Amino acid sequence: MSQFKLSIDNREKLSYIFIVLIFLTLIIGLFKLQILEHAGLAKQSENNRIRVESIIPRRGIVTDRNGQIIIDNRPSYTVSVVPAEIVKGKTIENLSELIALDTNLIRKRIRRNMVSRYQPSPVKRDISFEIVAILEEQYKKFPGVVYQMERVRQYNRQLGAETYTGYVGEVSENELKKIADAELHLGSIIGKKGIEKKYDAILRGREGTKYIEITASGQLVGEYADKNKIPAEPGSNLVLSIDNDLQIASTQAFDTFCCGAIVAMDPRNGEILAMASFPGYDANIFSSVIPESLWNEIRDDSTHPLLNRPLKGLYPPGSTVKFVGVGAGLEEGLITENTKYKPCIGGYQFGNRFFGCWKESGHGSLNAAHTLEQSCDTYMYQLGLKLGVDKLSEYYRECGFGIKTDVDLPQEASGLNPNTTYYDKRYGKRKWSIGLVLNNSIGQGELLVTPLQLARFFCGLANNGIVYKPHIVKKIQYFDKTETIIEPEIAFTLPFSKNTLKILYEGLSLVVDGKHGTAKKLKNEYYSIGGKTGTSENPHGENHSWFAAVAPLEDPEIVVVAIVENSGHGSEIAAPLVGKIIKSYMAKKLGIPLDEVDADVAQSGDSL
Amino acid sequence: MTIKYSALDWKLILAATLLTLIGVVLIMSAQHNASTEYQQNYYQRQLIWFAIAFFIFAVIVHIPPKLFDLLAYVIYGFSILLLILVLFVGTAKMGALRWFSFGSINFAPSDLAKVALLFALSRFLAYTKLPVASKRRLALTSFMVAVPVLLILKQPDLGTSLVFLVVLFVLWFWSGLSPFYLLLIVSPIISLITASHWLAWAIYFVLLLIFLFTIRPGLLFGVITVITNLAFGAVMPFLWNHLADYQKLRILTFLDPGRDPRGAGYQIIQSKIAIGSGGIFGKGLLNGSQTRLDFLPEPHTDFIFSVLGEEFGLFGALILLFLFGVIFYRAIRIAMHCRSKFSSLLVMGAAGIIMFQFIVNIGMALGFMPVTGLPLPFVSYGGTSLVLFWALIGFMVAAEARWQEY
Repeated sequence: MSQFKLSIDNREKLSYIFIVLIFLTLIIGLFKLQILEHAGLAKQSENNRIRVESIIPRRGIVTDRNGQIIIDNRPSYTVSVVPAEIVKGKTIENLSELIALDTNLIRKRIRRNMVSRYQPSPVKRDISFEIVAILEEQYKKFPGVVYQMERVRQYNRQLGAETYTGYVGEVSENELKKIADAELHLGSIIGKKGIEKKYDAILRGREGTKYIEITASGQLVGEYADKNKIPAEPGSNLVLSIDNDLQIASTQAFDTFCCGAIVAMDPRNGEILAMASFPGYDANIFSSVIPESLWNEIRDDSTHPLLNRPLKGLYPPGSTVKFVGVGAGLEEGLITENTKYKPCIGGYQFGNRFFGCWKESGHGSLNAAHTLEQSCDTYMYQLGLKLGVDKLSEYYRECGFGIKTDVDLPQEASGLNPNTTYYDKRYGKRKWSIGLVLNNSIGQGELLVTPLQLARFFCGLANNGIVYKPHIVKKIQYFDKTETIIEPEIAFTLPFSKNTLKILYEGLSLVVDGKHGTAKKLKNEYYSIGGKTGTSENPHGENHSWFAAVAPLEDPEIVVVAIVENSGHGSEIAAPLVGKIIKSYMAKKLGIPLDEVDADVAQSGDSL
Repeated sequence: MTIKYSALDWKLILAATLLTLIGVVLIMSAQHNASTEYQQNYYQRQLIWFAIAFFIFAVIVHIPPKLFDLLAYVIYGFSILLLILVLFVGTAKMGALRWFSFGSINFAPSDLAKVALLFALSRFLAYTKLPVASKRRLALTSFMVAVPVLLILKQPDLGTSLVFLVVLFVLWFWSGLSPFYLLLIVSPIISLITASHWLAWAIYFVLLLIFLFTIRPGLLFGVITVITNLAFGAVMPFLWNHLADYQKLRILTFLDPGRDPRGAGYQIIQSKIAIGSGGIFGKGLLNGSQTRLDFLPEPHTDFIFSVLGEEFGLFGALILLFLFGVIFYRAIRIAMHCRSKFSSLLVMGAAGIIMFQFIVNIGMALGFMPVTGLPLPFVSYGGTSLVLFWALIGFMVAAEARWQEY
C-alpha cells in the first residue's frame, strides 16, 4: 500500500497547489461580482436603498370674489399599515378595535392600497387626534401601524355650495384609464364633481419627487441627499365669481323648503354670484373614507341630495318663458304692442277642449305688456297657435333653451325643447295634436329647462338682449403669483329687436310695479325690481313654484332665479324667496340695514 | 524557558494583527447605524477582546509545544466533558445550544474542543506506529473526531461539526495519507449529495467504480467504499428527514437562492449586491449603503466580508486575501521547518481550521457556498472566536520559535 503514502515534499507541493486553487477561485468570484457584474449590482444596491416618493402638492384654495374662503385644506391624519410588519393576531386585531373597523375590511383595504410589502398601505383617512395620540403612546401594541399627515379638503359648510364646489376623492381605476395624466396613480386625490373636477388639473398642481433612504425593513432613514428632489408645484388658487354673503343669504332664504334650486347671476358678464341646490349634502364627508352606510343613505334619499339641480334639474319653466312667445309674436309681426286678442274668459276653447287660464274669472282683453304683467294664459294660447310648434320652438332655441350653457362646471343637462321632429319621433308622424303648442306657449308640456338656462335667458332680457356665457371662475392665481382673469364671453344675442326688448322689459317691470302685477308685493322704495312668476304643473304632486327677478331695473346688475319644487304658486313661494335674496344684495350695495328695506313677502294669493 | 524575540515569526504576527484591526474597522462600520448604543460599540468590545486574545497568544508563545503534547489527551477529555455539560446548562442562542454564559460573556465550548481535538489527533498521529492507511489508524482517529462531532451535532451546529472533520482530513493528509484515499473517504458524502437525483447518483456511482478499478486500493477498502456509497445513496432521504429545519433550509437555499427572498437566500443575494456594488475601490468607509441600511444580515459576523467588499471594493478584498495568504504560507513553512512531528501536525491542523472557515465564510459571501454561520477568522466580531484564532497563531509562532526541538 505504499502508493498511498505521500512524501513530505509532495505534501508541501500539494498544499501550495490547493491554496493557489482556492485563492484563484475566490479571486475569480470577486472579479465576476465586482468587475463584470458591477454595473448591474450597483444599480440594484441603489434601488435597494432609495425609495422614490411623490410629494403631494397643496391643492389650490378656492375663494369667493372678495377673497372669502370657499374651499380650504386642513391637516388630517391617515392611518396605514406596513404589510411586511404585520404581527399575526396583534396588528390588525388591535387596530380594528381602535378605529372601529372590521378586521376583514382592514385586510381588504391593505390589499387594495398596497404598493409594496414595505410601504405603508392606507387603511383609514382622517382619524381623530385622540387615535393618533393612542398610536403614539402604545406603539408596541400596534406593530406595523403608521400614521401620516395629509391635507384634506375642507368645504365651507355654511355656504351650501356643493353644487359648484363638488368634492374630491381617490381616483378610481376607470378614471385612471380615462384621464391621460401621467401623474395620476392609485391613491391620487382628484376632483369628482363641480369645479374640483372641472379645474382638477389646475387645482391639483404638479407632484414633486423625493428620494427617501430606507432600510431593508422599510424603516425610514431620511431624505437622500445625493439626489436633488423635484419640489412639488402647489396647485393654483381659484377666485370664483360667487359672493359668499349672497350665497349664504340664498341658502338661508330657502331654509324652510325642501327641494329646489337658486341661481343668481350678473347679467352684465355672465358671472354666477350664488348658486345652490336643495337639499344639499356635506361635501366634507367625501374627503375622508365615506362609510358605506352613509353613502347608501345619501344615494337612496328620496329628495336626491346628490342631484345638481341648477345644472341638471329639468323642470317645465311655466309662465317664466312667456317672454319668448310674446317676443316671437312681435318679431314675426303677428302682434304689435297694442294687439289684443279675444278677451280672456278664464280660458280658451280649442276644438273640443277647453284650455283654462290660471285666473278662472278671466283677464279680459290685454295687450302684450299686460299679458306678461298678469301672466294671462288665454293670450298666450292664441299667440302660440299663430306661431305654430316649430316657430315657437325655434325662438325657444334661440333664447338658449334645450342647449347647454357651457358653464365651466361639469355634468350639465341640455333640457328639452320639443318641435315637430321630436313629436313625430315620440308619437309617430301626424299622430299628435297641434294643440300641444298651447302647452308649450305657457311653458308646460314637454318643454324642460334647467334653472341655469332660465337665469341665462333673464340675463339677456336684463342686458339689452346680449347673453353672456355663465361662468363661475373669475380668476386663476398660479403658484408663481401670476394670474389669469377669465374674460366674459358673449354666448349669443336674443332674437329680439330693441323695440321688442323694450316691450318685454316693460312687462317684466309691470310684474312688480303694475297694479295687477303677480309679484307686486316686492315693490319697495329703495330699489326697482322686475321679474316673472311661474307655476309649472307637475303631474306627480304640487306645482313647482318659479320666480325670476332682475334688479335694479334702470341698470340691472343681478338676476335671480329660484324654483321651489312641489310648493305651490310662484307668486306665493318663489317670489318672496327671491325677494329676500335681492333684498340682501341691494341692501349691501346701497349700504342700508336689511330690516329697513320694506320689500317683504307678497302674501296675496290673487296673482300668479 | 526564554525565547528570543528575533526567533518569532513577525510576518505571521503582523498579518494576523492587520486582519484583526481591519476587522475592528469593519465592525465599526457595520454597526455604525445600529439601533442600540451597545451594538454601535461592538468594535470597542472587539478591541478589548483583541487585547485578551493577544495576551493569551503571548502566553502560548511562551509555553513549549511539548507541554501540549504531554497534556493532549487530558485537555481532550476535559473539552468532551464541557461539550456534554453545555447541553444541559448552556444558553440557547438563535435556536442552537452553544454557549456557557458568564454574566455578559459567552463561552462556546466547541471552540475549546477544536483545539483539544487538534492536540489529541496530533499526538496520536505523531507517535502511532500503525501504517498510514491501516484500518485501525483510520478508525481510531475517526472515533476521536466522532465523539465531539456527535455532541455538537446534537446542539446542533453543522458548521462547527464540519471544522472537526476538516481537522481530521488535514491531519490524515499531513501524516502522509494519499489524497486518493481522502477522495474515497469523502465519496459517501458525494453519494449523499447526488442522491437527491437517482440519475446523478447512478452516474457518480459508475465513475466511482471506474476510479476504484484504476487505483486498486485493496479488496476490503474497495468493498467498504462501495457499500458505504450504496448505503448513503439510499439512506439520504432518511437522513434528510432528521436534519433540523434551518439546516434543510440552508441546503435548499444554497441550491436555489431565489426560493425564499427574505430567508437565507435573501442574505446571499444582498451579500452579492453589496460586494458587486463595491466595484474596484469600494464606496468608502461608512458609505456602504447595503451595510448601513440593514440590507446585509449580521454584517459584523457572518457577512463581514461583504462589508469589506462594499466599502473597500476589489482592492480591499485582495489585501485581505493577501494577508490570509501570508498566514497560510507561513504555516506551511513552519510545518515543514520544525522537527517535532507533533508541532508540525499541530501547525497544519491550526492552518486547516483557519483555512476552512476562511473558504466557507468568503465562499458564502460570494454565493458559492451555503450560509453556515461560520465567522471569518480574525475579522468577524466574536470574543471566543478571536481568542481561538490567536491561540492557533500562538501554536504556530511557538512551534517556529522552537523549531529545532523534537
